[in-house]
Amino acid sequence: MEISIIQGLLIGLVAALTAIEGDFLGESKFREPLVTGFLVGLILGDPVQGTIIGGQLQLIWMGATGIGLSAQLDIGCGGTIGAAFALMTGSGVEVAVALGLPVSILMQSLNVLKMTALSGLMHKADSYARQGNTKAMARVHWSGFFIDLVEYTLPTFVAVYLGSSVVEGLVNSLPQWVLNGMSAVSVLLPALGFAMLMQILITPKLIPFFVFGFALAAYTDLGMLAITLIAVSIALVMYQLLSNQQSAVASKVDDEEDL
Amino acid sequence: MAKSNIISKEFNITTKDFRKTFWRSFTLLGTYNYERMEALGFNYSIFPELEKIYKDDPEGLKEALVRHMEVFNMTVAPSPFVMGIAIAMEEQYKRDPSNFDPSSINAVKMSLMGPLSGIGDTFFWGVFRILAAAIGCSFAASGNLIAPFIFLLLFNVPQFLTRWYGLKIGYYNGNEFLSNMQKSGKMNLFTYCAGIVGAIAVGCMIATQIALTCPLEFTISGTTIVLQEYIDQILPKLLPLTATLIVFYFLKKKVKVSYIMVALIVIGFICGVFGILG
Repeated sequence: MEISIIQGLLIGLVAALTAIEGDFLGESKFREPLVTGFLVGLILGDPVQGTIIGGQLQLIWMGATGIGLSAQLDIGCGGTIGAAFALMTGSGVEVAVALGLPVSILMQSLNVLKMTALSGLMHKADSYARQGNTKAMARVHWSGFFIDLVEYTLPTFVAVYLGSSVVEGLVNSLPQWVLNGMSAVSVLLPALGFAMLMQILITPKLIPFFVFGFALAAYTDLGMLAITLIAVSIALVMYQLLSNQQSAVASKVDDEEDL
Repeated sequence: MAKSNIISKEFNITTKDFRKTFWRSFTLLGTYNYERMEALGFNYSIFPELEKIYKDDPEGLKEALVRHMEVFNMTVAPSPFVMGIAIAMEEQYKRDPSNFDPSSINAVKMSLMGPLSGIGDTFFWGVFRILAAAIGCSFAASGNLIAPFIFLLLFNVPQFLTRWYGLKIGYYNGNEFLSNMQKSGKMNLFTYCAGIVGAIAVGCMIATQIALTCPLEFTISGTTIVLQEYIDQILPKLLPLTATLIVFYFLKKKVKVSYIMVALIVIGFICGVFGILG
């Protein structure tokens, strides 16, 4: 599919939104593929397909949380470009992953550069602080906004506008066995995402609940919403039980102190 | 603004100032960097109150601005709680500078970064984000355009509430609130119970959202054997669980995420080409 300059720029702005979301919109999650897939779909005239691909990408990047280890991936830009190419070439999530992944690694290295450069700006902010100049400090702070805007819009625009014909030719010439391989990669990669989530979340005491959640979903047809409700009820019951226990222990200690 | 409610009569701080801080707190990561991390963002967020507290005291304002340029780093959503505490402490310092050690302001900020980030990560990355994405994805799978909106709403309503009430609670009774929570052990209990929801959700999503199967088929003396059917008899969704646990094992062994990813891509590709996984 040929895209217009306007479409290319708009997709660039979606990529910029994913960075600005984190830096200036309080990590309100516009960077997630579910959202960018929909937006890119809207720009390219197929929001339904965009949302479907976005949802599939979302699962693959579920564990890319931006904290700790996983900050090595820029899922915002990778997801945007991946979804854009998948839609432009009329292909599925495999293409989105294959193209989005290198982009997300590349952008993250660019971010490392940005964060190093911003360290330099801090000394400027220091000297304004010593002068009590809040206006100038605010200016320094908001300069980050324009850095994000340029850092993301420009490369994304160049990639999707100039790269589309190259990528389209490439995708169309891929033999079936390569597509099989790419499709297996796209079903295997979510394992990494969920393993990373387990790493943040699962402590030894929580393992029984993890097993419970898995078994419930593997053996029954209950949907996510039903299982969430069950989980919330269990958590509430546990909270009541354990806090009663705690206050019982606490009052016992108090009694002993009185004696 | 006649509508604004007075928060601090003494320093003329109003709800309008708090609203400014609330919105400014969203820009916390705006100039995130390796040296000071979120310092400038934190500073910027409480400018409205600092300017009022030190209205007639330019030296005090300079001092405060320099003070809040010190390193600060935490999960963003609960950060306004710390801002509330910092504002209350700045007022205290201004009121009674001889009996208040200003370095305690940064000490309190530092001491809150770790525990609040832990809770924040559990709730926002571990629970709200997973649940919102899981429910959003189930709509997205059928191409329902409501999906991104559901996702954004489910995540952001809790985050907006946490920010606004965090700021107020932090300001009015931050120190008291925290020491009570910590003394009674409620804080850990709260995080643990949130972890229960997260753990169940992760277990559930591994079973429902990883579509890993083994498409291998053998024909032995005329009967076709589909391997996946045998796997399902042992345990449905055995492959997604096994794959996730293997990756989890290597993460625990501190293998770099990028290495694991490359390994998964190579293994997945080869297995896909030979039809072992799909």
